[in-house]
Amino acid sequence: MGALVEDQIRRAVRALTERDLGAAREVIADDDRVDHLEMDIERRCLTLLALQQPLAGDLRVISTVLKIITDLERMADHATDIAQVAVRLGDQPPVKPLVDIPQMARLASSMVRAALNAYVHRSLEEAWAMIRLDDDVDRLFAQIFRDLLELMRDRPDTVAQATYLLFVANYLERIGDHATNLGEWVIYMVTGDRQRKHLE
Amino acid sequence: MPPAIVVDRLSVWYDGVAALRRISLTVPGGAVLAVIGPSGCGKSTFLRVLNRLIDRVPGVRWEGQVYIGEDPVLSERTDLTRLRQRVGMVFQRPNPFPFSIFDNVAYGPRLHGVHDPKALRQVVEASLKKAALWDEVRGKLRRPAATLSGGQQQRLCLARALAVDPEVLLMDEPTSALDPVAAARIEELVVELKGRYTMVVVTHNLQQAARISDFTAFLQKGELVEVGETRSMFTAPRDRRTEEYLTGRLE
Repeated sequence: MGALVEDQIRRAVRALTERDLGAAREVIADDDRVDHLEMDIERRCLTLLALQQPLAGDLRVISTVLKIITDLERMADHATDIAQVAVRLGDQPPVKPLVDIPQMARLASSMVRAALNAYVHRSLEEAWAMIRLDDDVDRLFAQIFRDLLELMRDRPDTVAQATYLLFVANYLERIGDHATNLGEWVIYMVTGDRQRKHLE
Repeated sequence: MPPAIVVDRLSVWYDGVAALRRISLTVPGGAVLAVIGPSGCGKSTFLRVLNRLIDRVPGVRWEGQVYIGEDPVLSERTDLTRLRQRVGMVFQRPNPFPFSIFDNVAYGPRLHGVHDPKALRQVVEASLKKAALWDEVRGKLRRPAATLSGGQQQRLCLARALAVDPEVLLMDEPTSALDPVAAARIEELVVELKGRYTMVVVTHNLQQAARISDFTAFLQKGELVEVGETRSMFTAPRDRRTEEYLTGRLE
């Protein structure tokens, strides 16, 4: 599920930059797969809770999985939102070359991968390292926001498309936040402590 | 407010073999402590120190002290009759006396000098109500206790313990011989009686410990590995051995 979501984020943004409608529609179609995976994993977790009544570390693993799949599912929704923007923009010529948005997408999807690795390795260091990447995502978002605002001021004809791109940047920023949640859940799973980024 | 139980560096030996090693912990007044651990870890010994049932074991020796409120339990001067009035106990298997329901509950009060029929009726009714058995046995109090179901018998034993107005209740695997419905009723009772009595419950049922206790002590080979708030111990134990025991990976 994690690999699929990570891939969805990359493909959604590539569909946008390369104006590839087919790829965008695939991302949208994959959302159902993610939803099914979420339900399947959730069902298995609930069965384990009911039949095994896990405690301590086992309990934390299962609650972590239950939380992680919710975040992953939300990320897939945002990837789908981005793909929908790609569909909506169709083959309109881009108002500006897209540089920061793909960069943001790479960062966000690498955060997802790093979070899943941290989960598999039960690694606090990896979790903390990937959580710190969110600051870069936020910086890029602020940068994109400023650039697009400036563009809209200078060339009012770009407002429609620039607004869509602003949405995309916002979706990516949200994906970064969900990825941060994944890292925080890994930290909880390993330590039993609920740490939040803003409490650092 | 029921008294706190303070255990201070308690060690117990049976014929020179250590059963408990320097256990120290505190149960706040009115709280429920669950004692968990593998068989032979010293759980039952721990419980039997608290009301000095341990005295009956030949070759037993102890060190350290236990206080119930202000009063030392392990003292030459401890009045055992008074101690066992203050500290009631419910055992694993329901063990009603071969008397009527009424006489089972009235046994303790009579022993402590209550003979007025009206007073006895009152204490029997009040105790059966506290043990959530009254509605099922009213009008049948002269029937033999043995005619009750296992779960009812266990609640009768609880009523019998409550009839002498104790401050502390000890329970040694109180539901392990009961079906799930009867066990749930005992668990509900423990939760209901919380605050009125300080309780120590030995149990092999980890979920039960999680449901009913405020604090949990994990014993292994006579040592106190970890004691703490149940909710934190059952989600994130501090000691690796507790983690292994709770997740079924011990040995």
